[in-house]
Amino acid sequence: MENLNLARSKSTPEVAFDAAAGIMAMTGESYPENSFEYYRPLLVWLQQYLPTASVPLTFNFNLSYLNTGSTKSVMDILDLLEDAYEGGKVVQVNWYYDAENDRALSNAEEFREEVRVPFRILPLSGR
Amino acid sequence: MTPIDLYDFRDGFKQDGTLICFAGPFSHSIIEELGNAVRRYLETEQVAKASLMDVFSVFIEQTQNVRNYAARKAAEGDAAADYNDAIVVIGKAGDRYVIRSGNLVAQADVGTLAAHLDKLRALDAAALRQLYKEQMRRPLAPGQHSAGLGLIDMSRKAAQPLDYNLRPVSDHCSFFSLRALV
Repeated sequence: MENLNLARSKSTPEVAFDAAAGIMAMTGESYPENSFEYYRPLLVWLQQYLPTASVPLTFNFNLSYLNTGSTKSVMDILDLLEDAYEGGKVVQVNWYYDAENDRALSNAEEFREEVRVPFRILPLSGR
Repeated sequence: MTPIDLYDFRDGFKQDGTLICFAGPFSHSIIEELGNAVRRYLETEQVAKASLMDVFSVFIEQTQNVRNYAARKAAEGDAAADYNDAIVVIGKAGDRYVIRSGNLVAQADVGTLAAHLDKLRALDAAALRQLYKEQMRRPLAPGQHSAGLGLIDMSRKAAQPLDYNLRPVSDHCSFFSLRALV
């Protein structure tokens, strides 16, 4: 399976999905004009990749800002990761948040409450 | 001919505590640029990170709501008004910030919008959180342009219930004004 790489823009994060390594990362901010259109190819890639993956899977979210449309799509990604986890894959979600922003921690916790997949919340400082 | 003197015009903004005002057709790039300008300004003011992001986030939700609504009306074939021609104003009010937006809304949508806002205005933080989670989990209708979370999210970030006004401006449209204090 081919990797999925998207460059960062002002309103979209860098996306680096590495199929062979089982490591997926999103880094930056996410407030595209049409978030559903933006996230569709990411979700399609994950839907194809996750059921066939043969390595432990790690998803690193390093998103310092999400608009509400992106929040909904990230929830969809977490649901796919949870499906993989419940289907027997080894899955780890790492959610990095800005330690200077107390709102960022509660956002992370709200995502974690929604899923049963292993979900670590990790502080970043000096972003 | 009108004299070229913008002093009073500018002074009105200053008196109101206005930091940024944009009136005209909203585009994604204008939203990005204004958003960055707001953030740079708040950084120089040493505003706490969480407050800075709250102002930015309410600004993004308000302006993207206008864009999403305009896209929805275009998809419905409603060309009776320029739904994308709107206004956004960010200002300071004491030690808080006020983010306001105004745009045209078709008469047919006025009732639903007012009912939604009245409902949100009556909810406390715990009920807003609950509603946000339910809405986040609601499946999207085909062709839906928005997650329907923007006003709930703004309500959660605002220091008091969202204020709004709907003023009929033609047979077809009302002007919707929205105000969030952060």
